[in-house]
Amino acid sequence: MRGLKYSELLIKNKELERSVGGPLYTITVLSNITVQPLKDILEYTLRSESINAQVGFGDYDNIVQNSGNFNGSNAVFIFWELSNLVEGLQYKANVMSQESVQELIDEVKSEMDLVYSNLKDFSLVFMNSFSTLPFNYANLKKDTFDSICDVLNEHLSGWHSPGVHIVDQERVLAKVSVEKSIDLRFFYSSKSLYTVDFWKEYSAYVKPLILSAYGKSKKMLVFDCDNTLWKGILGEDGPDNIAMSSEKPQGVPFEEVQSLALALHKKGILLGLCSKNNPEDVEAILDDHGEMVLKKDNFTVRKVNWEDKVVNLESIAEELNIGLDSMVFVDDSDFEVNRIKGGLPDLTVLQVPSKTCAYPKLMREHLGLFFSLSESMEDQQKSKMYSQQRKRTQERKIFASVEEYLQSLEMKMKVFPDCHTLIPRLSQMTLKTNQFNLTTKRYTEPDIKSFIDSSSSLVLCFSLADKFGDTGITGLSIIEITARVAKIDTFLMSCRVIGRNIEYAFFDTIMSLLKKTEVASVQGVYNKTLKNCQVEDFFETLGFSLESSLPSNKTYTIRLKDYRQKNINYIKVEHGK
Amino acid sequence: MESRIKKVLASVLELKESQISDDTSPDTVESWDSLKQMALVVALEEEFEIEFDDDQIGDLLNFKLIKTIVKEIVGTN
Repeated sequence: MRGLKYSELLIKNKELERSVGGPLYTITVLSNITVQPLKDILEYTLRSESINAQVGFGDYDNIVQNSGNFNGSNAVFIFWELSNLVEGLQYKANVMSQESVQELIDEVKSEMDLVYSNLKDFSLVFMNSFSTLPFNYANLKKDTFDSICDVLNEHLSGWHSPGVHIVDQERVLAKVSVEKSIDLRFFYSSKSLYTVDFWKEYSAYVKPLILSAYGKSKKMLVFDCDNTLWKGILGEDGPDNIAMSSEKPQGVPFEEVQSLALALHKKGILLGLCSKNNPEDVEAILDDHGEMVLKKDNFTVRKVNWEDKVVNLESIAEELNIGLDSMVFVDDSDFEVNRIKGGLPDLTVLQVPSKTCAYPKLMREHLGLFFSLSESMEDQQKSKMYSQQRKRTQERKIFASVEEYLQSLEMKMKVFPDCHTLIPRLSQMTLKTNQFNLTTKRYTEPDIKSFIDSSSSLVLCFSLADKFGDTGITGLSIIEITARVAKIDTFLMSCRVIGRNIEYAFFDTIMSLLKKTEVASVQGVYNKTLKNCQVEDFFETLGFSLESSLPSNKTYTIRLKDYRQKNINYIKVEHGK
Repeated sequence: MESRIKKVLASVLELKESQISDDTSPDTVESWDSLKQMALVVALEEEFEIEFDDDQIGDLLNFKLIKTIVKEIVGTN
């Protein structure tokens, strides 16, 4: 996007508007200055990621009023420009009387309080922090304009509701440079402060937040080995001559990249290897090499062989039951990078730059790919759970029949109703689960909280333990009850627990709970996506009747009294708090 | 140069190049408001690597004038 001319971006945005399908993702921008150029640029940024984004604006300089009465969008951006709190504040601040300054501060603070109370339960709010940088970049000492800014930012730190994100626009200003970010001609003529270059960088900066809310953040980082994890070629240079720390020349950038990967791993991102090397050689490095930051058990999967990397990467995706579009692959070789970009277009490929010192910078700039709106306890346990999953897959092969195998697992399910402490994990599951997901509705933490607090909806989830370990919270259902009809708004399960009939034990539990209420009939919906065809006939297998069928969705219904429990006897169900 | 200017106008104002003539102005194009004017300035400056001053921005009133002013600046650079 940086290399794209503005006029070309405008044309491309119009083309994408026609071609990108899927549900509309609406964004409302509230501001007290002119920010219209953001529309095309933010839309283009998101539509390029296949998000059908549409940006609209509130009334000019009506942030407070609009925050109270606009119709819900998926996300809201607030640009509350300091210099326009009163016209010309950037110069007036330093000549106003103390009383006037205090009066202004108090007024803005109470406006901020009003805006916050209107928006704090909203799904996704981006509020830009206040900044004097566009005007005060040459100051040697803080002036009154700066003090006002500090006080208001301090007040902003009270905006800690989970749906609200304070965007540090100074990082964007620093990246672009103040000079290239501001167009004073347009500021003085029409209060349009920021340039197209600023808007491009701003859109790129906030993109990961929206992708995460849309369920598109990446889950796994896979590395090649030679000249990717270390400098040098293991097979040719030998283990003593490859560099990955300050002990050898050019090793430090590789140590840095390994550390960045380890930090991601600690947040729940899976790591993998995909390298053309002798497996024993690489194993030896992982076992013994004193300078490796990444250790053997940090890697959930290692494909070290002489096969085609496309096949290896597909196999990794299949083994872990994740989509290729959830993976990022890093390699130094032009040959491999081009092969994989061509063979697996859904996979994100990063190429190690020829200038080694630019390698950590490349990785750091792409950390946003893995950004997660909500991080939960499950994340830390994630890789341990995936390793347990592989053990289960391996043991499965020993048993003669699937039934026998499932019996042997000694599965116990714990069901939790309307549980506030699990909100981060539940939101995360709606954002990340794509395959066993009947309706694929994405919810942020405030959304989940609304469902839990509402007396007309029920939020049920479960954790599953078997003889190998505990998978953590791996299933969720949100049921909306109106009069005597219960509608299954959400029914999803983590791919880790697919294939064990757990969905039936969970559904039986849900139906038993509903039988204790006034509900007489249950409605189910299947929304077809590219990834969830495996659950297309789920409701049919439960005995529901098809009510209506369109290419993109099907609705089903059943009378509660007609429901036959599946009674999966090898799964013990308990009720948690 | 004229065709490049036409192309920029077409992309910003969402017109076909064939619809653009010397008289094309905010009076003849409904969507050409002050925001489009700003976008036009930015796009022209990017295309020709020039910078308009405040007076010149005020004179970009129709296709004919735009051509004249852009040629003037590019000529002196």
